[in-house]
Amino acid sequence: MIARILTIAWNTGREAVRSKLLYTLLFFALVLIFASLVLAGISYIERDRILQDIGLAAIRFFAIAISIFVGVGLIHKEVDRRTVYTILSKPLSRGEFLIGKYVGLVATLWLQAGIMVAAFAAVSLLQGAPLGIGHASAFALLAVELAVVVAIATLFSAFTTPLLATLFAGGVWIVGNLTRDLRDLGADSDVDLVRQLTALLYGVLPDLSSFNLSLEAVHELPITASDVWLPVLYGAAYVTLTLLCAVSIFERRDFK
Amino acid sequence: MNSAAVPIVRVENIVKDFRPGLGLRRRRVLHGIRFNVREGEIFGFVGPNGAGKTTTLKILMGLIRATSGAASILGHDVGETAYRRHVGFLPENPYFYDFLTGREILAFYARLSGVPRAQMRSRVETLLEWVGLTEAAGARLRTYSKGMLQRIGIAQALVHDPQVVFLDEPMSGLDPIGRKQVRDLILRLRGEGKTVFMNTHILSDVEMLCDRVAIIVRGRIHFEGAAHEFLAGGEPEADIVLSGLSPDAVAALEEGFQARLRGVGERIELRVAEKVVNPVLRAAIAAGADVVSVTPHRMSLETIFLSAVEKDRARMQGAADRRRS
Repeated sequence: MIARILTIAWNTGREAVRSKLLYTLLFFALVLIFASLVLAGISYIERDRILQDIGLAAIRFFAIAISIFVGVGLIHKEVDRRTVYTILSKPLSRGEFLIGKYVGLVATLWLQAGIMVAAFAAVSLLQGAPLGIGHASAFALLAVELAVVVAIATLFSAFTTPLLATLFAGGVWIVGNLTRDLRDLGADSDVDLVRQLTALLYGVLPDLSSFNLSLEAVHELPITASDVWLPVLYGAAYVTLTLLCAVSIFERRDFK
Repeated sequence: MNSAAVPIVRVENIVKDFRPGLGLRRRRVLHGIRFNVREGEIFGFVGPNGAGKTTTLKILMGLIRATSGAASILGHDVGETAYRRHVGFLPENPYFYDFLTGREILAFYARLSGVPRAQMRSRVETLLEWVGLTEAAGARLRTYSKGMLQRIGIAQALVHDPQVVFLDEPMSGLDPIGRKQVRDLILRLRGEGKTVFMNTHILSDVEMLCDRVAIIVRGRIHFEGAAHEFLAGGEPEADIVLSGLSPDAVAALEEGFQARLRGVGERIELRVAEKVVNPVLRAAIAAGADVVSVTPHRMSLETIFLSAVEKDRARMQGAADRRRS
C-alpha cells in the first residue's frame, strides 16, 4: 500500500515540478521577499520588522494561494482528463490514489515553501535582522497550515469543479482565520442558538489562526511549546478527518 | 480451447441506471445483461455506439457501480482491487500524463501494478518494442500522435503481464499498419494463453479475431455464442448466377425450389438452399441457361448485427404502440 501511495505521490510531485504555474507563483513570491529589502530600506524605523513582516506575509500568501489553486484541481483534473481510468484499473484503491495525490502535493508545497523560507533567511541575514526559534516555529506551523488547506482543497476537488472548489476552499480559508473571533463573539451572546451555532462552526471549520505565529516571530514575543505542538496535533487530526471525508466521497463516485 | 472452461469474466444480471442532471428520473442503460468470458479466448463485445459497451466495461473495471447484479473477474468481485494485478485495461481514446515520456509512463504503471524492480526495465523495453515505440520512448507524451497514444495505451495494459486484458475499441485512431500490428498483438496474447475482452463496433475485426461474441443493443444482450455459429447461422445457402434464362424459366425456378431472386438483368442471381443447388443447376441448364458462378453464402456478422438492431427497434415500437393504446 505504502509503495503504491508513494508512486502516486512521486508522480504528483513530478507533475508539479514540471508545471509552469508553480514556477510563476514561486518567482513572484521570491521577488516580493527580495523587494522587502527595498521597502525596509526606505523606512527610518523598525526596518527589521518591516522586512520580516513583508517577507512572512509574502510566504504565507503565496504558499496558501498555490495550495488552493493546485489543490482544487488535484482530483478533478484526473477525472476530467480521464487519466484516472487507467490508474484505477491497476491494483490500487481509490483511497490510496487520493492519499497519494495529497501527499505528493503537500511534499511539493513544502519544498517550495522551503525555497521561500531560504530566501527569507538570506534577506534577513543580509539586513542583519534577527532569526530565532520563533521564526522556526512560525514556519513549522505554516507547513501544518498548508497541509490543512490542501486537505480542504482536496475534499472539494473530490466532488466539484475547480471553480467551485476554489470558491469553497478560499471561503473556508478566510472564515478559518476568523473562527476564533466568531467563537468568542458567540460566547458573549445572550442567545442560546447563537452560542450553539458559533460553537458548532468553530468545531467544524478549521481554526487557521492557531497556525499563525508571524506576529510572535517578528516581534520576538514568547512562544511556549504548547503553542506549537497543540496546533500540530490539531492540524493532524483535521487533515485526517478531512481526508477520510474526501476518500468516502471519492469511493462513491461513478466515472461516467 | 476447452468450451467447458471456468469463466474468467462472469456478468450476472447487471442493471445500470443513470440520473441525468439533478432530476429524480432514472435512465436505464443496462437491462439485466449477462454473459461469460472463458479462459484463453478472444471475446468480442459488439454493439453500435451508445449500446452500453463502455458502461459495461467501466463496471468491470470498477469505475462505475452497477445498480444491481453482480460481476466478477478471475473469481473476484469487481469491487476488489488486489486481483487487478492480473488484469490489463485500455480505455477508449486513452489519456495519460502528457508531462511524462513514453518510457516514464510505462515505468509508472509497472510500479503501480507491482512489477518487481528487477524486471521493470526489461519489461518496459519489451513492451515499447512490441508496440513499435522504442525510438519515441524518450519523448514526452504531449508530442505523441493519436495512434502513438493508442499504442502506449496498449503497452500500459500489458506491462504487468496480465492474465486477462480488456480493450475498449483498440483499433481506434490507428492507421492500417497500426491496426495490423494491434491485431497481431491480440493474436499473440491468445497464443500466450491470455484472455482478451474486446469492445468494438468494427465487425471485420470481430470476424478476424474473435472466438466468441456477444451482441449488445440498447443495453440488452441479443446474442452470446461462438463467432463461427454466427457465420454459419441458419441453413447454409448459395448464390447462383445464371444468364440466358427466360422470365418464365426464372419464375419456375423461384416457385419450384423456393429460390430468392436477387439480381435481374442479363444475368440473374438466385439465392437457394445449399442442398438444392444441383437440382436447380440441372433445371436451369435444361431451360437453356448458362451457369456463370455458384458461391456459398455465409451470413455476415454485420447482417446479424443489423438484424438485432432492427428487432430492438421493432420491440421499442411495439412497446410504444402498447403504451399509446
